[in-house]
Amino acid sequence: MSKTALIVDDSPTMRQMVAFTLTNAGFTVFEAEHGKDAVSKVAGGPKMDIVVTDLNMPEMDGIELIKELRKLSAFKFTPILMLTTESALEKKQAGKEAGATGWIMKPFNPDVLLKTIAKVLPA
Amino acid sequence: MAASTTEIATKELDQRIGITTDGSQFLTFNLGDEFYGVDILRVQEIKGYTAVTKIPNTPAHIKGVVNLRGTIVPIIELRTLFNLPIIEYTPFTVIIVVVVRDKVMGLVVDSVSDVLNIDAKEIQVPPKFGAKVDVTFISGIGKFSDKLVALLDIDRLLMDGEVPEGGGLSAAQSSTSGTT
Amino acid sequence: MHDGTRTPGFRMSNDFAQFQDAFFEEAGEHLAVVEEGLLELEQHPEDVELLNKIFRSAHSIKGTSGMFGFTDIAQFTHKLETLLDLLRNGQRVVTPQVADLLLRSTDCLKSLMEAAKSGSAIDAETVQRLTSELVVSQGVGLGVLGIEKTKVSGLNSVSPTGRSRVYSISWSPPAWLLQRGLDPLQFFKELHNLGTLSQVAMDTSKLPDLGAMDPEICYLSWTIQLETNKDRKAIEAVFEFVIEDSILQIEDMTVSNSESHVAKASPQHDTQSREVETGDGLPKPLGEILVESGVVSRETLDQALAQQKKVGQILVEQHVVTPQQVEQALQKQRQQESAAQSKKTDTASIRVDTAKIDKLINLVGELVITQSMLSDLGSRFEMQQLPVLLERMVELERHTREIQERVMSIRMVPIGAAFARFPRLVRDLSTKAGKKIQLVLSGEETELDKTVIESIGDPLTHLVRNSADHGLETPEERLDNNKPEVGTIRLNAFHEGGTICITVADDGRGLNRDKILAKALTQGLISESDKPTDDQIWPLIFKPGFSTAEKVTDISGRGVGMDVVKRNIESLGGTVSIKTVKEKGTTFTLKLPLTLAIIDGMTVRIGREAYIVPLLSILESIQPKREAMKTVVGKGELINVRGTFLSMVRLYEVFNLQSEFTDPAKSILLILETEGERVAVMVDEILGQQQVVIKSMEQNFHKVEGIAGATILGDGTVGFILDVRGILEIARRGEAMAV
Repeated sequence: MSKTALIVDDSPTMRQMVAFTLTNAGFTVFEAEHGKDAVSKVAGGPKMDIVVTDLNMPEMDGIELIKELRKLSAFKFTPILMLTTESALEKKQAGKEAGATGWIMKPFNPDVLLKTIAKVLPA
Repeated sequence: MAASTTEIATKELDQRIGITTDGSQFLTFNLGDEFYGVDILRVQEIKGYTAVTKIPNTPAHIKGVVNLRGTIVPIIELRTLFNLPIIEYTPFTVIIVVVVRDKVMGLVVDSVSDVLNIDAKEIQVPPKFGAKVDVTFISGIGKFSDKLVALLDIDRLLMDGEVPEGGGLSAAQSSTSGTT
Repeated sequence: MHDGTRTPGFRMSNDFAQFQDAFFEEAGEHLAVVEEGLLELEQHPEDVELLNKIFRSAHSIKGTSGMFGFTDIAQFTHKLETLLDLLRNGQRVVTPQVADLLLRSTDCLKSLMEAAKSGSAIDAETVQRLTSELVVSQGVGLGVLGIEKTKVSGLNSVSPTGRSRVYSISWSPPAWLLQRGLDPLQFFKELHNLGTLSQVAMDTSKLPDLGAMDPEICYLSWTIQLETNKDRKAIEAVFEFVIEDSILQIEDMTVSNSESHVAKASPQHDTQSREVETGDGLPKPLGEILVESGVVSRETLDQALAQQKKVGQILVEQHVVTPQQVEQALQKQRQQESAAQSKKTDTASIRVDTAKIDKLINLVGELVITQSMLSDLGSRFEMQQLPVLLERMVELERHTREIQERVMSIRMVPIGAAFARFPRLVRDLSTKAGKKIQLVLSGEETELDKTVIESIGDPLTHLVRNSADHGLETPEERLDNNKPEVGTIRLNAFHEGGTICITVADDGRGLNRDKILAKALTQGLISESDKPTDDQIWPLIFKPGFSTAEKVTDISGRGVGMDVVKRNIESLGGTVSIKTVKEKGTTFTLKLPLTLAIIDGMTVRIGREAYIVPLLSILESIQPKREAMKTVVGKGELINVRGTFLSMVRLYEVFNLQSEFTDPAKSILLILETEGERVAVMVDEILGQQQVVIKSMEQNFHKVEGIAGATILGDGTVGFILDVRGILEIARRGEAMAV
């Protein structure tokens, strides 16, 4: 069984890049366009080993999504990484308060992405 | 098949005369009793003769177009272009498909014969035969043992194809070739 | 999953480059959203949701452009985004000046994007000017940066690397550790990756009684000894996500008297993080930093920069190379640049819904099955199986057609993308021309081929410009004529039969018949004796060099354009027509094929040759009566079709073919129409109707008069597609010759 990852980003390019990197690293990747899409896709669906989400998104932003996911028992302890470019700390802080595990600063390269994921992925 | 004959021919040739130094290779073909050659690097493939669709209002030597794996390729009848009598097509009649500057065209010839190495020293400028024979498309006359090979100027041929109807060059040529 | 065994990081250099094209496409869409949004914002400056939408798009461009190293774009967008953020937070209000600045910045961003795409140079001056305008509009002072920078360098004393050191790490994680998906074990694993964990002691003193314990809370803390040749930073990095909420002490045991560094949530730490991320999150050139920190003045920097020499120049001065060699190298560089550019611009991509592709793959699967059944049937065919064969053939045809339709639908995109530029254009035009113009768009959802959409942008722009400049009157003139002060330009798109119609309509003054006539006379397009009808006059404006504008403005009226519009549309296989009513307005109608690759055609026979006539241009086919025909001196052969005399073209004469019939009464006449002109074309027989794929004649040959292109017929031979326009011109020449 390969590990599963959920990627949430409204930018298809960004999604593709993250998905490409994770797929090459052996993950089975699920994609969602925004928070709402993500919630509907994971509700009752497959369990995720990791979630990577953008923060600025239409419909439901990343912070809301993290809060929603943490309410689900299947996502209570799942590592959730936020993709962020926010210069101000408040977004990161808000993400942490919502229950985010960590963050990845854009721009990043595949190595950084994989290393950060390795850091939080349950053994 | 074309490739293998080419290979064999090249090999035999090398055996006969040794590897040439500054010559180049020509695919030779027949029109009646005469030998012509075309730079082998310009040849894309050799295919059997298939029915062509005539293009309206084009000079007589432009025989028409064929479908070559989905692209439209114009076909030139060299006999007409060189003022030679038209003959019935035989099973040996082939189309030599040549490429020049991304453009592809086919030449109808009586038969292909050989691939020859012709030393640049052995190539002379075409003599002026007088009005009877058109040498517009001949870049030189190559000598190979006792044979004389007229080497085609493919670029000129193609330019002729490119010049739109009524253009100076094609008008001049259709008058020379249209007498058959 | 078969690839589950792959090591993370395997063949993972920076492979993101392959997504660059996708980025440009997406960024283009975002830019359109930003621009559209900004135009709307001018009308509704209070719309926060709109601001959010614009912000998101700008933000997305910033984030993604950084991924490809387009720092110019990322930096500039960051400035734009900052202003947008202030606007949506209500810290700044949307004034016309701000809206204008944002629009100009969007333009600048567009050109930056173009430059990144083609690898060409950027307009550094404009970027610089707009950047400072954006910064000024944010009301944020400059020069804060440099000071903070100096503060930081002292903060992180880094242990010398290379030598192995022993650290004592004491860590009390935040209570919520587990609730955020973090596992203490992970941290030890990470630390273990740095070196050797010699001692791990767990402190359980804070554990409450079992009954009072919340299993989701972390009560534990640890003391760890780590021997590593990495520096303190590497250790801190392990705790990156919790460092601000943990009590973490990292003590270097190697040096006995080393001060212990305590890092925990503290204002100091915040400063550090902020520094790293202030500004653009991207390094600035040295000169900029020097200017900002007040070390040198802007003038000094500019002077220094002006003195900078090019590599070639330096090498020449050192007599390493000759100027000629440099020039050669530069030439080569330019060639490579232009080659790279042309290569870059050639790639076009379409983003396709995966569902569409899945469906297509299924269909291809079915096609393969049908094909294998057919070849199976063919290998041992007996006559009684004929019904089975026919059934399979029907299936094959159905699948092929469905695949064709679906593949074509991939290329179909809504025309809205082509319309998107017009609100901005009309806004700018109305300001420039001092007119009040309202733009009404409709039918944006109408789908057509992507290539067609890309090619109609310029013709449409010209028509809109033309309407704004020539068609619509000034507000005063309109009021004088009892018209509403605000003029209207309507852009509409809709499907009509197998074609798409796009109309550009204005409610302006209409075309001026007398002016056009006068101009046509001076240009020798008509003679004094001619008494042209309206329908003959209007198309005159499509003649090259024809412009009736009294003064040449920079909007239109340069006398180039309308002819180009017509040529462009016709090269797409379309037509342009004009309807105009004095004082009521003018409507240009563009008719275009849905796609350029395939047309519906009528196959006709002339002698032994088959020709394809575009179905679009066929009005009807008739078998003429002998008495309906007559020959008029100067007009050639005419045919009376219900009272109207049309010129007749004998296709076998035009194309020099051997036809079966030379008597029109025995043959078939196709009545063809293009651009409002009609012509009767004589053929032997109509064979049937079919869709044909258009193949270029020009690829290997050249344009042939009267032929629009070629196609491959059912039997594999080539058939020609009739160029109705060309035929009309031939007919006209025939008239002239028949004088």
